[in-house]
Amino acid sequence: MTMNQTAIYLDNNATTRVAPEVLDAMLPFFKDQFYNPSSTYPEASNARDAIEKARESVARLVGAGARSEILFTSGATEGNNAALWGALRANPERRHVITTTVEHPAVLEVARDLQRHGYRVTFLPVDRAGRLNAADLLKAISPDTAIVSIMHGNNETGVMFAVGELARLVKRVDPKIVVHTDATQTVGKIPLSLSRDLASVDILTMSGHKLHAAKGVGAMFVRRGARWRPFLIGGHQERGRRAGTENVAGIVGMGRACELALDSFHEKDRLRSLQSRLEKSVKASIPNVYVNGEGAERLPNTSNFAFEYVEGEGILMALVDSGVLASSGSACTSGSLDPSHVLKAMDVPFTAAHGSLRISTSRYTSDAEIDRLIEILPVVIESLRRISPYWDTTTNAPRQGVDVFIQEKYR
Amino acid sequence: MPWDYSNKVMQLFRDAIAGKAGTHFGRIDVPDGEGHHGSMQCGDAMEFTFRVERTGDDPKADRIMEARYQTFGCTSAIASSEALCRMLEERKITPIQAISIQNADIVDYLEGLPPQKLHCSVMGAEALQAAVVDWARKRGVALADLGIDPSQLVEDEGRVVCRCFNLTEPYVRRKAKELNLRSIDDITSAIKAGGACTSCHHEPGGLQDILNDIWGVQPPAVSAPSIPLPEQVPSSPLGRNARTPYQMAKEIERVVEKIVRPRLQLEGGDIEIVEIRDKKVFCRLLGVCAACTGAQQTLSFVVEDSLRDNVDPEIEVIPVTV
Repeated sequence: MTMNQTAIYLDNNATTRVAPEVLDAMLPFFKDQFYNPSSTYPEASNARDAIEKARESVARLVGAGARSEILFTSGATEGNNAALWGALRANPERRHVITTTVEHPAVLEVARDLQRHGYRVTFLPVDRAGRLNAADLLKAISPDTAIVSIMHGNNETGVMFAVGELARLVKRVDPKIVVHTDATQTVGKIPLSLSRDLASVDILTMSGHKLHAAKGVGAMFVRRGARWRPFLIGGHQERGRRAGTENVAGIVGMGRACELALDSFHEKDRLRSLQSRLEKSVKASIPNVYVNGEGAERLPNTSNFAFEYVEGEGILMALVDSGVLASSGSACTSGSLDPSHVLKAMDVPFTAAHGSLRISTSRYTSDAEIDRLIEILPVVIESLRRISPYWDTTTNAPRQGVDVFIQEKYR
Repeated sequence: MPWDYSNKVMQLFRDAIAGKAGTHFGRIDVPDGEGHHGSMQCGDAMEFTFRVERTGDDPKADRIMEARYQTFGCTSAIASSEALCRMLEERKITPIQAISIQNADIVDYLEGLPPQKLHCSVMGAEALQAAVVDWARKRGVALADLGIDPSQLVEDEGRVVCRCFNLTEPYVRRKAKELNLRSIDDITSAIKAGGACTSCHHEPGGLQDILNDIWGVQPPAVSAPSIPLPEQVPSSPLGRNARTPYQMAKEIERVVEKIVRPRLQLEGGDIEIVEIRDKKVFCRLLGVCAACTGAQQTLSFVVEDSLRDNVDPEIEVIPVTV
């Protein structure tokens, strides 16, 4: 595969580059500040202080009321496991979980595992634009519901759920239900506050490497008084709520990344306009394309396209050759044979579900990079459609009769 | 998942999408043989055509001179299609000889394929066989006389085992034997069966049963883990005069219909009851009421008061704005 030094990186929902300021903040803790923060000699106190400073920065970014409500984890996957299991262990008399069909596997797979452990799980459906219906959520609540886990922003489509409002409704039905949100894709991208819009959320999980910190570090907010028990045990760290020697450098970097994100929220307007320019241009220059989640409230950095009659992996491969790195929900890219569970839940037509392309930007994405994508993409799609048996290049439309053929055979 | 393609796969894919001279996508207008395999729903599909050169009167002496494909699929599906056409044009063999081209030959030509992509090469081999059967029919060649059972090559009608990819038991059996598929993973890699919902893996008559039947392996006895049923939450005993939740909901709906809705409609608004939980009524204001700055007041003064006066003084009205 070509290693392109100047590649245009448009896969920021997968991971982001570490900000130079973050790396600078981390380096001393790999060098002379290597001490274990739990050690008693004075040399270790610097690491302890640095962790607390980072905790303060995370708390400020998410609008937590108190620093002590922030725990550091190894990432959002750990956080999501801890949120679900921890809430259930703290509410042993309750055996029901509500989540959605479009969660990240770090919630979805845990929910399926809970089913194997005898818990009842309700998976809320979404509509064609990827939206939840509040009535479905309210109807799903039962007297033994322990936790409601609803992601804040979808990693594939960027569709956002009104988690704050949904959480408020859940609490009105039953204040004992723990409300969790996986905010991996929203923290640092849009302003949010656990004291205001998300005031009814009990647990929020997030990851460092989605906001220009390093991989292997994350954080979770657990509201004071929330019914939750520690998941990782075996040490006194994090006030006994998350055992394990702290990833000091990672945590310090995460703190710095949160400070930078707080200072960069103005960037979201630029990303929003890039998103809109990209989507308008793609729809104008390429026939038979859907913007998945169009019509729903979405993250400013994510565009998910579905191109009919071509396959996503081929699109990615051709883009790589043009120096663009992105991702796809197609079956072939995932190693499974099934296209993305998110697009399936949204009932994206199968003529298009295999041809999905996710473009996700960051504050490091330049306008020129999006211009370049706008230039390349029609050429790539056309070259693949020329090979496709379902496409007629002379009319630049689906081959005549193909709809009928497909419908007769598969509908 | 990282790609693990050979240079050959990448080269053939790149040549094809760049439309380089010597690539083979396209369609022969009046083909001597035509075959299809796969479907869009499955994520890959191939349409394959070839042209033969006739020598004398014996159709069995026809030689495949030109081969073309149209393929919907990933990098390796396109590369496999291109490989198949190149192999045929390089070898200039008869259609009868072409039947012996197996997916493994395509894999060799591609200098290897990742295991989960083997089905792309199988698609090529299947489309080729279907095209040869088509050629035989058009040219009046009785494949059966040559010891080839054409129904074995393409038809495989029968009970559907893998419902996601619409693959039948005869097909799965034939491919398992031909390609020496010994496990469910082998089957999924080669022909995709069982690769989506996975429910056909261990159901009666499913993939494992077919494998056991072919290879004579007995499955280890596994007792299904018993999943305890969720405990029933006892409902609180109702007093003689208390309403059941159903009666309460009915009365709330009645008051909304008779009293609340007409009042809101007078002003161009409306209301939708989203859910009723005990004495909590979740509702959405519609029309002008939704945009009204006094929506909260409307809810408490009009909706909540009416329900409290007419149904139960403890009723709470909760606005839903999503």
